[in-house]
Amino acid sequence: MGTTASQLPKDLLSEYQVKRSLAHKRFTELVAKEDRNNPSPRVPMSKILTLPELKSNPFRKRICHVFSTSENKDGSLTFEDFLDLLSAFSDSATLEIKSHYAFRIFDFDDDGTLDRGDLEKLVNCLTGETDDTRLTPEEMRQLINNILEESDIDKDGTVNLSEFQHVISRSPDFVSSFKIVL
Amino acid sequence: MEMNGSPQNSAVGVQISNGSHESLSLRERPSAGVDQRVPQYNWNPSPAEVGGESSADKLQDLKTLPMRMALKKAIRQVRQMKVPVVSSLESWKKSKTKAAKRFLKVAGEAMAYAVPWRRTIHQIGGHFGGGVQSYFLFLQFLVVLNLLSSLLMAGFVLTPSIVFRSSSFVNSSDAQNVTGKTSSRIVTVIVEFLTSDVHLLVLRFLVDQQECTVYSHSPQGLIFFYQYFLDLLSGTGFMEYSYLFYGYYNNTMGVSMEFSYNIPLAYLLTAAFYLIFCLICIIIRMGAVVRIVVKTGGGAVGSYSRQAFTGWDFGLQGDRAVKLKQNNIRYQLQMDLEEERIKQHAASLTLAQTVGLYAKRVFLNLIVLGLIGLAFYAIFKAAQFSQTRSGGTFVDLLVEYLPSMVITAANFVVPFLCDQIALLERYSPSTTVILALLRAVFLRLASLVVLLFTLWSGITCSGDLENTDCSICKYNHKQYPCWETHIGQEMYKLAIFDFITVVVVMVLVEFPRRIIVDNCSCKLAQFVGRQEFVIPQNVLGLVYGQTVVWIGALFCPLLPFVNIIKFIIIFYCRKLTLFQNCRPAVRTFRSNSSKIFFLIVLLLGWILASLTLIYSAAKIHPSMGCGPFRSLLVMWDVVPQTLHTLSDSAKEFLFYIGSQAFAIPLFIFLCVLLCYIAALASVYGKTVSLLRTQLKMEGRDKQFLVKRIEELSSVRRRKTEGWNEYHEH
Repeated sequence: MGTTASQLPKDLLSEYQVKRSLAHKRFTELVAKEDRNNPSPRVPMSKILTLPELKSNPFRKRICHVFSTSENKDGSLTFEDFLDLLSAFSDSATLEIKSHYAFRIFDFDDDGTLDRGDLEKLVNCLTGETDDTRLTPEEMRQLINNILEESDIDKDGTVNLSEFQHVISRSPDFVSSFKIVL
Repeated sequence: MEMNGSPQNSAVGVQISNGSHESLSLRERPSAGVDQRVPQYNWNPSPAEVGGESSADKLQDLKTLPMRMALKKAIRQVRQMKVPVVSSLESWKKSKTKAAKRFLKVAGEAMAYAVPWRRTIHQIGGHFGGGVQSYFLFLQFLVVLNLLSSLLMAGFVLTPSIVFRSSSFVNSSDAQNVTGKTSSRIVTVIVEFLTSDVHLLVLRFLVDQQECTVYSHSPQGLIFFYQYFLDLLSGTGFMEYSYLFYGYYNNTMGVSMEFSYNIPLAYLLTAAFYLIFCLICIIIRMGAVVRIVVKTGGGAVGSYSRQAFTGWDFGLQGDRAVKLKQNNIRYQLQMDLEEERIKQHAASLTLAQTVGLYAKRVFLNLIVLGLIGLAFYAIFKAAQFSQTRSGGTFVDLLVEYLPSMVITAANFVVPFLCDQIALLERYSPSTTVILALLRAVFLRLASLVVLLFTLWSGITCSGDLENTDCSICKYNHKQYPCWETHIGQEMYKLAIFDFITVVVVMVLVEFPRRIIVDNCSCKLAQFVGRQEFVIPQNVLGLVYGQTVVWIGALFCPLLPFVNIIKFIIIFYCRKLTLFQNCRPAVRTFRSNSSKIFFLIVLLLGWILASLTLIYSAAKIHPSMGCGPFRSLLVMWDVVPQTLHTLSDSAKEFLFYIGSQAFAIPLFIFLCVLLCYIAALASVYGKTVSLLRTQLKMEGRDKQFLVKRIEELSSVRRRKTEGWNEYHEH
């Protein structure tokens, strides 16, 4: 395979469901000058994180890692990866797609389940990383116990994908909050 | 097209499976070649699976799979090689449903564009959170409601009145009709006179009847210039005899060729239909909110995991918005955790402590009730006092506004005191908020009731129709020659005063507060701090304003128009004060359960307004000097009168509907329907809890099986090791 971005046939455009030209423009702005002649350039994570949509997002590094297809896991994205990202965060992605990617983003240690460490990092991202914005250790313990009690149905101490999707399905505004628009 | 099946490449890990999507694998060691995180695609479905679906379904399937683009391209190319067999009827059905769905989507988007201030409210939600946004959404809902109802009023009552007043084909006049009715009364009375011998009484009766029709609305004497301004504020003077109030409308019936338009009937039916229309809108909106609440389980169960997993808004940009959101989330979590701790603490109190706490709460509630009773008494006295004075000077204007001022003052002071008392009661935070709301609601609506009661007792001499003032015309014609206009004026004054209060408070309190807090660094200023946007009080203000408009709808037909302008200006004032003067709310608000509460309060206001309307239309004698019902005994009489002019079959049909022979079977049928729906709901509830238990059970079964596999494989490993050892030696 390995078709370049400009050679994708028109009938597959419907699969992308994003404003491709805008995405292409924003992506090529990030490509380094020496890479311009490369047919499928790869942009390092540090450059991706300069996008205003991602710059302040507490989950920005995880997003890059999840959508990256690079072999050395450095979070760099090609244009296709970038389109994957935009498509998953777009209006027309279904609940199943979004919940799947959300699970992968929250899985900080990439082991396929959300255990206590993942949940703790997740809560810290939600409340703020600085010392005066964190929850106290006591509150954190109580909170994680409550989360596991509510969502861990098979009582194995971790939240797997189906349990996660079960929680997500009961929230009506997840689809509208899991959205990034360029 | 190449298929990458190498086990090492975990990013594009495609596994050819044998028809099952999930593979039961040990959690600790995912087997090589199967990437648990990438969903498996069934490359070789069994023939049974293929035949049942059409191509559209399968295409939909592809869009919902969270896979890489490259993979989807591959799958699509494979699919195009297979040609599914589907009947023409099915494909037609599928194409029609797709077209219908697309149409609904476009229509929904168009409707969303039609409502005003969409982008502003979205911006507010991003900056200040869902609670504040729900206030502005509520305001938007009320503006649209008022707009639609003003169009109703304009179309059915105002326009015909204007047309008939200015055109020449009106054949039944206005003023003459009164004397016509009086003359017919004279005829009836003379007949009675001839058959009885109470001559003098009859003569006096004739003279007195003329008194009831006297209604002077034009101002007397010299008018000062500022009089116009005062009249604008209080609805008197030049504003009284205008389309704004009831008294200006005539009981005309415009008749031309084949078309006749009965204005009194239109007036009454439009007012009734306006209230019913508002009720339908409220119920629809409540239904939408209740569905969300039921789906999320009332917000109580599963709220921690829901907040953690779905709490973040990925569309936020900029450090400020992100920090705000993080603060909101943190505060919400801390508040929930604290409530849980308080509950656990309360459950662990000894008996003596619990009794002491409850005794303290009962005592404090009695104090609160006493405060509210005191406020009612003050409103009652103020209303009585203001009824006695009426005139043109500024002092008289103040006296006229006295009920509104006392109501507004009570609505400021009493909730503030209740808040202080609530600190001593030591309920959990959410209970405190709900209790404060309930008290404020009770105060606001009941103060309206007190005002209406005072008006009623003035108009009908406290129900005593034999009183000297009320005996002739069945209402107090000396004080209120046109009592409907007077009620309309009172409601108009309430609405205007509410509006003036909002603007004045914004200018004189909120802006200076911000200026002082920003520029002065003294301790007091920092302690008080910038204003916070208090959502419950603001929403109750909106509900109060809307209730006033509903009560006044029958007596002041243009009040919805006035209200639209008022609400639009309030929207911009509140937006201005929000962005300029308010600090971002630290205390967030549970939007869904409070939305229901606001709609319930709005419904209570509606009930109050419709009770007032029904009572005025059915019980009180309309004024004889003004208005479209001046010749009738009660307002409702115009409907039976019109019914009598209908054709015989229509009359029979309508009488049948109104009779008991129809109403009782209908009532029984509705009861049966209600029981059926209640039974259905309880069955669904039981099914939901059953499924939940089943889900738990399956999880435990899975765990059990995994443990068994582990045990068996370890036993087998030990056996093989032992056997190998045995064979080695």
